[in-house]
Formats: sequence, structure tokens, C-alpha cells
Amino acid sequence: MNTNTTLSAPDVAQPSVDVSRLDVKIGVRDLKFYYGDALALKGINLSLYRNMVTAFIGPSGCGKSTLLRVLNRMYDLYPGQRATGEVLVDGQNILAAGQDPNLLRSRVGMVFQKPTPFPMSIYENIAFGIRLYERLSRAEIDARVESALRRVALWEEVKDKLHNNGLSLSGGQQQRLCIARTVAVQPQVILLDEPCSALDPISTAKIEELIDELKSDYTIAIVTHNLQQAARCSDFTAFMYLGDLVEFDQTHTMFTLPRDRRTQDYITGRFG
Amino acid sequence: MTDTAIRAEAPPNVAAASSREAILRRMRGSDAIFHFVTRLAAITVLVVLGGGIAALVFGAWPAMQTFGFGFLTSGSWNPVTEQFGAVAPMYGTIVTAVIAMVVAVPISLMIALFLTDLCPMWLRRPIGIAIELLAGIPSIIYGIWGLFVFAPFLQTTLQPALIDLFGNVPVLSNLFAGPPYGIGVLTAGLILAIMVLPLVTSISRDVFDTVPPVLKEAAYGVGCTTWEVFRYVVLPYTRVGVVGGFMLGLGRALGETMAVTFVIGNAHRISASVLAPGTTISATIANEFTEAVGDLYTSSLILLALILFVITFIVLAISRWLLSRVERRIG
Repeated sequence: MNTNTTLSAPDVAQPSVDVSRLDVKIGVRDLKFYYGDALALKGINLSLYRNMVTAFIGPSGCGKSTLLRVLNRMYDLYPGQRATGEVLVDGQNILAAGQDPNLLRSRVGMVFQKPTPFPMSIYENIAFGIRLYERLSRAEIDARVESALRRVALWEEVKDKLHNNGLSLSGGQQQRLCIARTVAVQPQVILLDEPCSALDPISTAKIEELIDELKSDYTIAIVTHNLQQAARCSDFTAFMYLGDLVEFDQTHTMFTLPRDRRTQDYITGRFG
Repeated sequence: MTDTAIRAEAPPNVAAASSREAILRRMRGSDAIFHFVTRLAAITVLVVLGGGIAALVFGAWPAMQTFGFGFLTSGSWNPVTEQFGAVAPMYGTIVTAVIAMVVAVPISLMIALFLTDLCPMWLRRPIGIAIELLAGIPSIIYGIWGLFVFAPFLQTTLQPALIDLFGNVPVLSNLFAGPPYGIGVLTAGLILAIMVLPLVTSISRDVFDTVPPVLKEAAYGVGCTTWEVFRYVVLPYTRVGVVGGFMLGLGRALGETMAVTFVIGNAHRISASVLAPGTTISATIANEFTEAVGDLYTSSLILLALILFVITFIVLAISRWLLSRVERRIG
């Protein structure tokens, strides 16, 4: 039976790595999260390694997105949501008082489930974020916009209509525009919250390629419902269930030799 | 199993069927009456509106024939020689409305933003209710408060300060010239600002609520401050709706009568200073209708009313059109 289940798990693309050689970019220590009185994360401990892609999988409502939203303190925007424990970004606890959430968010960028272009031109969508933190000449901004769009393989498609509204692009293009916008601010970490769930297979493939391409410069965390996607593009995988981190390991190990029974059931499609 | 249960009940006997038909026929009859009554009620609205326009045009006809388009360009208002022109009241109407909007709109937008994005839950309801109560205060109360409390207050505080401040500035010294009367165009504009504030606020709040949370999160996500999110994402996204709310407030400011009549001073003249007394279309009508003796005098007042009707109708039509565009986008 064990051999059967491992055979039907998705194929893993990324090779395994030597964990002792990796830097910890973000350390999560005993993180608890509350929506009002409801406990949504029940003490999470894990590390996101520099220049690695970490996938978060698990059934709906298990806390994957919640965890992601703690990492850039997006929950701050909503009264009644709070987190306890520690989240160390480069050793600094971002949950501590006195941390500037805006500065944090410029270092820890986020891409959402649905494409969210701002109500402005394609060019402005990217230049906007750059101008918030840097005083650059027109030419320098132009260069940054171009390099960000090239980075996400969108430049050739939009270079002749940079001043059209961002909403005029297709869904897949919009999502790549949003990733370009995040990249243009030059963050260190990129959080992707189900970035492909609203996209067709071709756009999805492009984004997965892009993730692979981006990890040389960034630390990436991706929430996904698509196990194949997690297997294809991540180095580490975290399986979460009902607010607990059930298992966290290299993707390679996780998809071939899961230790926990629930992980095994989930990745072979027995529940979820 | 449910299937068979339904079938077992199904066969109707003939007598029951015929009595059911009689009941249905009676019901159809009363329903037809009901349809007719509702339609009649709805048509009444059109009849009243059409009748109102017809009565205005009919009443204004003598003045239209006598003065023609000169009515719109003449500044004289002389009941003795029966020379009437609409420029002074039109000017006053527009200036008071502009002052009202300039003061009310930024404050309304700030309140609306605070309520949608920043306000802690427990404070949201009290402020929301207070704004609705502000909208419910009858205009006569604003008028009497404006005359006895607000105007004397401005006379001793804001108006002398403005005169001192801009006394030596070239253009602005004309704008804020003259003795502080208390009552005047500025006071009327400020009262109007208080009156349109709830309207603009509640509409802005509603359109701000239509911004998808994830769009705001995305903006915060690149490191925007609240102000930057508001300025570059929320406002552009809701621009059409905000302008619609603005026009609705403008419509109210243009037509408001009672409060303005109390505090504007009712002088048929156009002065550069906003501290001087003036008049508006609606204030003129309210003040002078009882003493309008000649036919031409009365007719001129009705023509003023027709002008006001046309202006507010256009403003309200534009606002409705803009707001409907927002609703269509939400789907």
C-alpha cells in the first residue's frame, strides 16, 4: 500500500538540497493567529530559506493564506486580527512593536489570487511602486519598468501599448503585470497567494517558469491548491491542516516519503 | 420514493377542478384591478412632473415675452419700473453652491475614507448615525441657527480674520472686502456646506465600499501608505461615483431655500466680496412672492423658478447617470 501511494503522487522537478548549507531568510517561531477569538494558526514553526521556493499546501481553511498574510503583516489592515509569536525576517521580529509595516511590505512583496492591476496605465502600474521609495530620473524609471516587464516576459507583448490601461490586458498578462510590479520595487521576498488559480494552463505554465527564474534573486513562498504545481516549482513544501503545520520538508522527500499519514492521504488525493 | 408519493396524490376529481377555476377567475379579476392601481400611481408621478413644468412655462410666459433672453443677461431687479433680470440671483446661487462644495467635498471624502478604511468597528456606527441625523435636520433649523448663532459667530471671528489676512493681497483683498456683516454670501455657502456634507459623505462611503479589498491590499502590498492608497487607487477607481455624489450635493446646494434666505442678506446685487450680502434664485422667490403685485413681477419670479428647475434638473441628471455607471460596473 505504501508503494502504491508514493507512485501516484505527483512528479517532483526540483532536486533535493543540503539544508545545512542554506540561509534562513524568514524564521517563524510559535506563531499563533487569531480572527477575533477564533484561533486560525495554532503555533507554527518553520523556516523559509533564502533563494528557495517554499510551497504551502493543504485543504481550504487550513491557514495557508493566513500564514502568508502574517509574513507581510497584511492582517494589520483589519481590526480584530492579531498574531502572537515571532516572525524573524533577517533576524528581526516583524511582529514586534515599532516595525514599519509599509517598509516591511516593500521588502516582502505579495501577489494575489486574482490579478489586481491598479486603475492606471501599464507603465504607471509599475512606475508607481518604484516612485514610492526612490527618487529616480525619468530615464531610470523607464529602464526599471522595462527590466521588470522583461523579467516577467511581458515586455514584448506590451511595449507598444505601455500607456493603455492595465485592465485592458488579458488575465494572464495582468497577473504577470502584478508580478512585475512586485519585482520592480526590488523586494527580498515574494509571497504568491494562489497566483494561478484564475489563469488558463498556458498562462499558468508561464508563471511557473517565471517562479523558477525568479528564485535566483528572491526568496519565494507560494500558496497553491495545485499539488502538481507545488511539486513542479518548489524546493520545500509545507503541509498544513486545520491551523497546524503537519509536515515541512524538502519537496522531494515530501512527495516521495511523507512521514505523516495525513500528508500521505492529502497528496494522493484521498481527502482535501 | 418521493416520486411515487407525488404521483399518488396527483389525480384530481372533476368537481374540485371546477371550483378551483372559479377561484382563479376571481383572483385574476382582482389582480387586474391591482395592476391598474399600481400603474395609475406610477403614472401620477409623470403627470405631476409634466404639470409642474407646464405650469412654470405658462406662468413664466409673460416675462419671457417681455424680456426674452435679456432676462438671463440683465442685472437689474426693479419692481417699480418693472425691469427684471436674473443675473444677480443666478450669480448668488452659483457662488454659494461653489463655496459649499469647496468646503464640503474634501471634508466628506475624508470622513468617508475614515469610515470605510480606518475607523475602529465600535466607532463606525455612532459616526454613521450622526451623519444620517445631520441629514435629517429640517432646513429651517439650519436657517434660524445660522441667523442667531452662526452669523454672529462668523462676524466676530472668521470674517475679521479673513479681512485682516487678505487685506493687502491683490486679488483676494477684493474677494474678502468690506465690513463683516455676519450674514452674506460666505455665511450662506458655509451653511450649505454643512447641509450637503451628509449627502456627499454617505454616497462617497458607498462608492468607496465598492473598491475590492484585494486591490487595496495590493497597493498596501507595494508599500503604500493609507494616503497613497486613497489618492492613487481608491479615488481613481471610484472617480465616477464620487463625481456623481458631488453632483447630487450640488443639486441640493443649488435648490436649498430656507437656510439660505435667513443668512444671505437678500440684496439684489453682484459684489466681488463674498462677505457682502447677495441673493439666490430660491431666496428671491421665497422672499418676494407675497409682495409681487404686478403680473410681470410674479411672472418674472416664476421664470426664475423655471431657470432653477432647468439647472438642477441637468445637475441631477448628470449625477444619476454617473452613479448608474458605478452600479453597472459592480454588476
